[in-house]
Amino acid sequence: MRKKILLSVMLLAVPMMFSPLLFAAESAPEAAQPQQGTTASEHAGHGERAEMGGRMERGGNGKPVTWTSFPALKTKMSGENRERREVTIVPQNIVADNIDAYSNDVKAAGMRRQLQFTLAGAKLDKPEAGGFHWLAAREERDGKVRVASTVYFFSERGGQNPTSMFMQQKHELEIIPQPFPREHSRYRANEDWKFLVRFNSKPLAGQKVNLETQSGTKTELLSDAQGVITVHVPDDFKVEAEKKNAAGHSHERRSSDFVLATEYEEGGKNYLTAFNASYGPDAFDQRSMAMGLGFTLLGMMGAVPLLRQRKAANKADDAGITTGASVAPEAARNEEA
Amino acid sequence: MLKTIFPTLTRFRFTVQIIMLFVTVYGGALLGGYTVDRISQALPSLSCAFDKQTGDHCILIVTQHQFHHRIGEAFAKAQEITLKVFIPTLISVGVFFMFFFFLNKAFCGWVCPMGTVQEVVYRIGRRLGRPLNRLGPGNVGKVRPVKWLMLLVLVLGLPLMAGMGIASNELGDPYCQVCPSRLATTLLTADAEQIALRTSTGVNFFLGALGNTLFGFVIIAALAVRLPFCRICPLLSWNALFQRLSPMQLVKRQHDKCAKCGVCEKACPMDIHEIGTEHGKKAFHEDCTLCGRCVEYCPDDDVIQLKFFGITLFKSSREYYKKRVKLECPEGLPKNKVIWLAQAQQNQHG
Repeated sequence: MRKKILLSVMLLAVPMMFSPLLFAAESAPEAAQPQQGTTASEHAGHGERAEMGGRMERGGNGKPVTWTSFPALKTKMSGENRERREVTIVPQNIVADNIDAYSNDVKAAGMRRQLQFTLAGAKLDKPEAGGFHWLAAREERDGKVRVASTVYFFSERGGQNPTSMFMQQKHELEIIPQPFPREHSRYRANEDWKFLVRFNSKPLAGQKVNLETQSGTKTELLSDAQGVITVHVPDDFKVEAEKKNAAGHSHERRSSDFVLATEYEEGGKNYLTAFNASYGPDAFDQRSMAMGLGFTLLGMMGAVPLLRQRKAANKADDAGITTGASVAPEAARNEEA
Repeated sequence: MLKTIFPTLTRFRFTVQIIMLFVTVYGGALLGGYTVDRISQALPSLSCAFDKQTGDHCILIVTQHQFHHRIGEAFAKAQEITLKVFIPTLISVGVFFMFFFFLNKAFCGWVCPMGTVQEVVYRIGRRLGRPLNRLGPGNVGKVRPVKWLMLLVLVLGLPLMAGMGIASNELGDPYCQVCPSRLATTLLTADAEQIALRTSTGVNFFLGALGNTLFGFVIIAALAVRLPFCRICPLLSWNALFQRLSPMQLVKRQHDKCAKCGVCEKACPMDIHEIGTEHGKKAFHEDCTLCGRCVEYCPDDDVIQLKFFGITLFKSSREYYKKRVKLECPEGLPKNKVIWLAQAQQNQHG
């Protein structure tokens, strides 16, 4: 009887597996619509990737943005569909001659590339090695050095461990993620993430760092003795209706941008460096713990009959199993031998 | 020295399993945050990408993504399917095979964190005196096709259809949404996010509910059934595709006494009855996880062997068998140990 229960539950998985096709059939016409233009949307599976793109302001080099006065780099995926062959980078609140792009293969000849601007922005073609890429723009004028920096991740692997690339000195004043969210992860509200603040590769203790978000949060942080700041990503998400594409089907994931900026004086120069990225809602946003626990308990209850002791019909066999007396055949085997 | 620390193959395997549990569940935390991007992302065991501390990713998530985003989209656009489209998939399969070549399906029996979790739960079940539910030859034959359906529908079919635009985009990685390893490994890192159901869409909710129910069932069933999820795991079928291509093999020769014995069948956690009744290639069944218990519990010399490139790594022997059964019965019940509930029940009845 209990074997039948076990078998039934296992076989139950079969029709259940096909049920998603029903959902699929409903949404298929929408999904089959050609996508218009480009989108910063994420797709299933890679959905937890940290998006650097977000909602890009149209414009070119130096385009000001309203939510922060600090320099930032906006990135946008382009190319047909989701191939992610090309990324456009637009500096905001900074006028730079070019964009410096660092691949994670620090030993490769093309580890550092200078990307020139076109009308839409600087183009970052997908290099041979995927993985993490550091992007930076620099402006020096009247004794002031302003740097905007961010990270872009190509999901195609093949790159090196990015730690060396992150830690390599690229500018005088730097804010370096420790670490940057890896694939299938992203910055999210209510999480703590660490960043190293350093000048000429030396950590800056007690350094003031400003945090500003697209949703309006403005706060100050101080680095510790090791030059590390711990950023508690604010849960300041404005409830926004998901954007719908022309077919009414939404692929857009909610995200917002933040920027960390710090200033330092040295040798008569003023250095201002910013690091920007995007972040998503709280991990439990649009999730139900009660439902999750409920269905887990349902599954557990389904298995409870398996735990009941067998009755008289199988008593002899049962005794063998539960007491370790199943060596009976072994004993017979020994005798034969 | 080694024999003192590891008196049995099972003890050695369990030690390896625990080490691999730490590598696959906490490897990223132990070896550095970016480790996962550097090892393979094509591991032949359920090392979950949703676990933020994991040391590596399972081949199944990569396969789903590639069917979804590359092959499916290429079909949809009716473009010519060039090597450029297939190269990422071939690279992943190639990297997977580099691992698989050496250990074959031992990834299931020695490395997979979900297998380890189920075995630990089963051991707890033995100590709690829970009954053992085995699947007979008839029933096990009905369950076996499920793993192939899981592979074809959840790992390959739906992601491909999602990529082609026929199915919802949310069906891009449906297997991951129902995989109990996603819940088990994230809970082991004290991350409760995955146990909470996604309510944003009907598809998300349905897959999540199915996954949570399956996880709950597996965790309790494992107290009384050996490796309940492994029997329908698509990685078991995926690995079975490559089973004959590895030099690591389970080898059984014909022996007159096998028909009367059946101890190896009892020892097999996957209820592979063929190990007791067949020999040669048929004995190394597609469900075999190379755990080696049948070798340990074969009471005759050299009848069952684990071989690598023809070199015997471990073989059955009468002497080893005698020692082994003194420690534990074939079904996994430890001897000379306190079995709380079983003893209490025996006292009640007797």
